[in-house]
Amino acid sequence: MEVEVRVERGRREPKIVILAGEETEEVRRLVEQLEKLRLDPVPVRRGEERLLLPQERFLRFYTDGKGVSAQTGEETFAVPLRLYELEERLDKRRFVRISNGEIINLDRVTAVDLSLSGTIRMTLDGAVYAYVSRRYVKKIKETLMREGRERH
Amino acid sequence: MTEERKKSLIRILIGGILGLLVGLVLVPYVMYSRECPPLAVLACAALGGMAGLATQPFADSGRALLLRSAGHFILTAAFFALLVVELDMASDWVEVLFWEGLLGLLYLLIWLGRWIGWYAEVSQLRELLGLDPGPTPLKWRETLPYLPFVLLLCTAAPLALRGIERAMGTDIPALTGIIYPMLILPVASFCVGLSLGKRRGLCPLFPVACFVCYLLVVFVLYNSSALFHCFLTAVPALGGNLLGLCLRRVRPTGG
Repeated sequence: MEVEVRVERGRREPKIVILAGEETEEVRRLVEQLEKLRLDPVPVRRGEERLLLPQERFLRFYTDGKGVSAQTGEETFAVPLRLYELEERLDKRRFVRISNGEIINLDRVTAVDLSLSGTIRMTLDGAVYAYVSRRYVKKIKETLMREGRERH
Repeated sequence: MTEERKKSLIRILIGGILGLLVGLVLVPYVMYSRECPPLAVLACAALGGMAGLATQPFADSGRALLLRSAGHFILTAAFFALLVVELDMASDWVEVLFWEGLLGLLYLLIWLGRWIGWYAEVSQLRELLGLDPGPTPLKWRETLPYLPFVLLLCTAAPLALRGIERAMGTDIPALTGIIYPMLILPVASFCVGLSLGKRRGLCPLFPVACFVCYLLVVFVLYNSSALFHCFLTAVPALGGNLLGLCLRRVRPTGG
């Protein structure tokens, strides 16, 4: 399989075109994998400034009463999208919803703790805490297992 | 009506009907009578309803779980007390408290079972995320290095001191009767708990170990009237452990 990259100045999102003689199982699998790999940058606001930041920079997205916020290792931004819209845009292998109001980046989880009252706390980058709702534990495990299978 | 509420009502109804049937069969049998006190049958039906709801408090976590569990326990304990009184299983309030204590123990066991299930889930998450395995269930392995201190403090020291008192021919065993259990034991338990809390955080088995190790001493050196001594080690041990946990949170020491 040949891989070719063409740089197009001004393009905001990468576009992938697969050229094939016929639609084989291999091509279908490739399309499936690429579709899962959502790399769209996330639009955020810092005051009046509008930015597009790459997904891997974010630790978590959460609702805080005023709207949706996005937290990176350094700062917090406002996001002009609903949480379910964000969930659709984010890389499903990396981001997972852990409660009704929060999506986290699994790659940035550094610890998982359980309290005596059954609260599951995830630590992101060693400093930010996120609390997992029990109803989402099954989904998180499924995401991680799927990701593990795909890696092997 | 939400789906969850509808399910809860169905569970209460099924549990209540089964409880009513069990009550109608068992109450006359337990009372050696053909009569069936309506309050006892009502208590059976209510307990059946509460049993039907038993898994609901554990569906959530944190504050919601604690509030739901407490509410469920209080209601169940009230219906259970009614049943105990109606079936003449207790002659005074102390006996009612004994039965309630057994119910509390059952709750504790159920909670422990659920907690172990949650622990297994969290272990799996840690493994899938490629993280360290984390602390052992209820931090039993982390508590283990402190067991020699507990044995020394709560078992060996009082026995040795009593031996010294006897060897010296002391008439009144003031050291093992008053000074050790009332002063030295609580202070030492607190200090050891503090050290454990600072190093390992909350270790719920530590105060339990203190209680159990001192229990042996109570029956060897004293009698059942000195059972409260066990709390003189377990409560300060828990207090020290909690203070250690707070200090650890304020100034983490690692480990």
